[in-house]
Amino acid sequence: MSTNRIFLYKRYERFWHWSQAALVIFMLITGFEIHGSYEWFGFHRAADLHTFTAWTLLALWAFTIFWQFTTGEWRQYIPTLKKVDAMIRYYVLGIFTNAPNPFQKSTVKKHNPLQRLAYLALLAFVSPIIWGSGLFYLFYAYWKDGAIGAYLDLPMVAMIHTVGAFMMLTFFIVHVYLTTTGHTPLAHIKTMITGWEEEEQH
Amino acid sequence: MKANTILRIAAWISCVLVSSAQAAPVAPTLTDKLPAVAKGTTDHSKLKELQKPFKTGPEVTKACLECHNEAANQVQHTKHWTWEVVDAATGKKLGKKNIINNFCTTTISNEEDCMACHAGYGWHDKTFDFSKQENVDCLICHDSTGTYRKLPGDAGHPVYERKEFPHGSGKFVEAVDLNKVAQTVQLPSRRNCGSCHFFGAGANGTKHGDLDTSLIEPGKHLDVHMDAKGLNFSCVTCHKTTDHQVSGSRYEMTASRTGPATPRGKYDEHPAACQSCHSDKPHHENPLLMERLNAHTDKLACQTCHIPEYARNSIGTEKVWDWSTATTMDADGKRFAYKDSAGRRAFDSKKGNWTWDSFLIPEYRWFNGKVDFKVVGDKIDPTHVVEINSPQGSANEPGARIWPFKVHRGKQAYDPELKNLLIVHTAAEDDTALWHNYNWPKAIKAGMEVAGLPWSGKYDFVSTEMSWPITHMVAPKHDAVGCAQCHQNDGRLKGIAGVWLPGQDRNGLIDTLGWLMVGLASLGVLIHGGARVCVLCRPKKNEGKDEQ
Amino acid sequence: MLKLIIGIVLGAVLSVTVIFQTAGSFMFEERESPFTVEETVARIQQNVEKAGNGWALFGLRYPARPVEATGVSILPVMAIEACSPKYSGPILKDDKTRFLSLLMPCKISVYKKSDGKVYIGTMNAGLIGKFFGPLVAETMEHVVADQKNFLEFDPSQPAPPLILPKATTGGGGGAAAGGC
Repeated sequence: MSTNRIFLYKRYERFWHWSQAALVIFMLITGFEIHGSYEWFGFHRAADLHTFTAWTLLALWAFTIFWQFTTGEWRQYIPTLKKVDAMIRYYVLGIFTNAPNPFQKSTVKKHNPLQRLAYLALLAFVSPIIWGSGLFYLFYAYWKDGAIGAYLDLPMVAMIHTVGAFMMLTFFIVHVYLTTTGHTPLAHIKTMITGWEEEEQH
Repeated sequence: MKANTILRIAAWISCVLVSSAQAAPVAPTLTDKLPAVAKGTTDHSKLKELQKPFKTGPEVTKACLECHNEAANQVQHTKHWTWEVVDAATGKKLGKKNIINNFCTTTISNEEDCMACHAGYGWHDKTFDFSKQENVDCLICHDSTGTYRKLPGDAGHPVYERKEFPHGSGKFVEAVDLNKVAQTVQLPSRRNCGSCHFFGAGANGTKHGDLDTSLIEPGKHLDVHMDAKGLNFSCVTCHKTTDHQVSGSRYEMTASRTGPATPRGKYDEHPAACQSCHSDKPHHENPLLMERLNAHTDKLACQTCHIPEYARNSIGTEKVWDWSTATTMDADGKRFAYKDSAGRRAFDSKKGNWTWDSFLIPEYRWFNGKVDFKVVGDKIDPTHVVEINSPQGSANEPGARIWPFKVHRGKQAYDPELKNLLIVHTAAEDDTALWHNYNWPKAIKAGMEVAGLPWSGKYDFVSTEMSWPITHMVAPKHDAVGCAQCHQNDGRLKGIAGVWLPGQDRNGLIDTLGWLMVGLASLGVLIHGGARVCVLCRPKKNEGKDEQ
Repeated sequence: MLKLIIGIVLGAVLSVTVIFQTAGSFMFEERESPFTVEETVARIQQNVEKAGNGWALFGLRYPARPVEATGVSILPVMAIEACSPKYSGPILKDDKTRFLSLLMPCKISVYKKSDGKVYIGTMNAGLIGKFFGPLVAETMEHVVADQKNFLEFDPSQPAPPLILPKATTGGGGGAAAGGC
């Protein structure tokens, strides 16, 4: 067995990923406290922190979108159905028999086809739900008396936001688990920290 | 050495600065030789009209009217004089003269006592002449000495001769020096308004819960505006008064003033509302919080957050008045009374049972400023708790807000056949008065006769409640109700319709499905991971194991 | 072996944390009162006065008053102080335990919370007593037994009047009756 090192994640990419991870986790913690699931910070502080973190995350996204387009990295998220079946077969069966991962990472294809689909779903479905409802939640005072107010009310916004939060929490659980599916359980996380992927050669 | 020099120079400079500040000569100004400025533009003690000896209140009023010749007519147009308010929407006649309350119940047939708080003299019964100008009482609102006292039993006249009060208590009230009071009149202070409004229903703090003698010299903790050492607002600072018309009324309340702050001025601009000065976007904290707090103003009255508890003192307020135990006598058939642990009235054979408490959390409900009152003769449904007054409004009315209320509960006499509340002749020293003879039928008969209403001859007691909007005793801003006191499962606004409170409200189905999804994902991950561990643990597959 | 040591250390750290987090709730007890603040205090005072064993009221304090004086709106707190020379005597006589005068007189606190309910706070004298030798432990056992009676209320009895300390100064309190 020999290893082949490739530089997969650039410095900004790694900064983005980890700061986003921290912010999302923190928003989940404060968000479910606001929801009334437990008491930790106290409602007042939880609400303050949740809002503040939301704005921080939006700022991070503004930079990241800029980065994605200037570097062309946005192409990483173009979905493909090619090899999706192979990936599914790998996670369902191959992984248990130490079969090789059908997907080989490269600097132009960092995500496997399933990952691409998952991230696209996150970007195109969960994000709009959570951010849309979140902003409506935040700016409730400005639309409730206007035209939008005739079709939308606060309970609806709150419920949509909660649905988004549950989706995000589910994604988080599965995502964290799948990081352990590298050639060692911590391999993917190591890559995300250092940027270097140690490819296992068979 | 160097430090020493610097110190010396600094000392020298400060010496020069201080001495020059002290020595700076003040140029003589034009006002130096004038006497000190007095309060107000007239020194009433110098007026010849007020030098003659006054024997009665009306004599004083006549003297006042010699200069203030429009004052009596102005007062006669106010409810301080008429005790009557006509509901603009329904035409129903309200006011103390016409409604029944949850405390002493009614003024009808009890004027001798009740009119101790009338801004007039001699309202003994319904023959009172409401146009007679000398019957207007100027001094109750303008006394500056604190000695002007009007006692129950005198139909609004002040104490002319030293007398024992309460009767048989051994305590005496001195006769009022009318000349002194007349010569030292002032604009109404908190004590003036409080001489009636702090003692509603017969004892300090009884009625309102947010008005009692603690507001004569309150600390900042009790009321941020009336703080005697701070802003020191008097009642009329907010209840802006023009031509003796005092703004702000429980009969025609402003539940939700919107828009920017307005300058002080017109009485009909509702200056008694918080928003008159603070506007409806009053919060200026950090941008995140400010936005969120200001968004609350379309649902909540200011008072709802800024008066966390009412009766915030040891005086407390009355929560319950149960008339059904009145006329209960002791073993010897004599009147008896006892107090609660804090020394507040708990029972009296004359009046029944009371419950008092301090630092009370308000009850909250939607309120649009309109209140439905039961007036004398109105039908009631004795199978339910009778709402003596019912604050109107609901979540979908733009003018309604969630308001804090003191809800006073009680039991009072009603006619089980004709289904109306009864007028009971309680006060006075005659044979039919309840507090004299302890005989319900006699007292009811006398009361209903004066009211000119039929009575079936039967009586029983019905549960009643009365709601009092809480609006005084505004706490300093840092002591407002905290977010979590409503935003929690068992919060203050539990059961209030038409609001969505994060932390309290959630959709059960979404939560169930959401946690189910999270649970299934966790379970799936555990199973998948567990299976991988099992596979990896097999001895021959050693690569993965080593690295672990 | 390393794993074992790490496990033991982790376990110890965890235990200490848990003990540290919960110790406070062992040292003090809180219960709800069915009466108003004043009536709760008055009923406890009445119980102290008829408890025997030398128990007497020592004072009544208003810890919230100095806070109010700084312009802060705060819910009421009343602290009843009671003392029995029969129990404090031996502890105060012994040089080794004299410092326990810090815990004297016995205090019972009555207060309202923002849920509108009235609570009674007491110290867990029995547990504290166990740390300071057999004399203190035994004395505290008696104190605990008596204190239990202080909090037995009979709602069928009328509310007794509050016994106010003779000198009332903000936050202070004087002796209501002899005692210690």
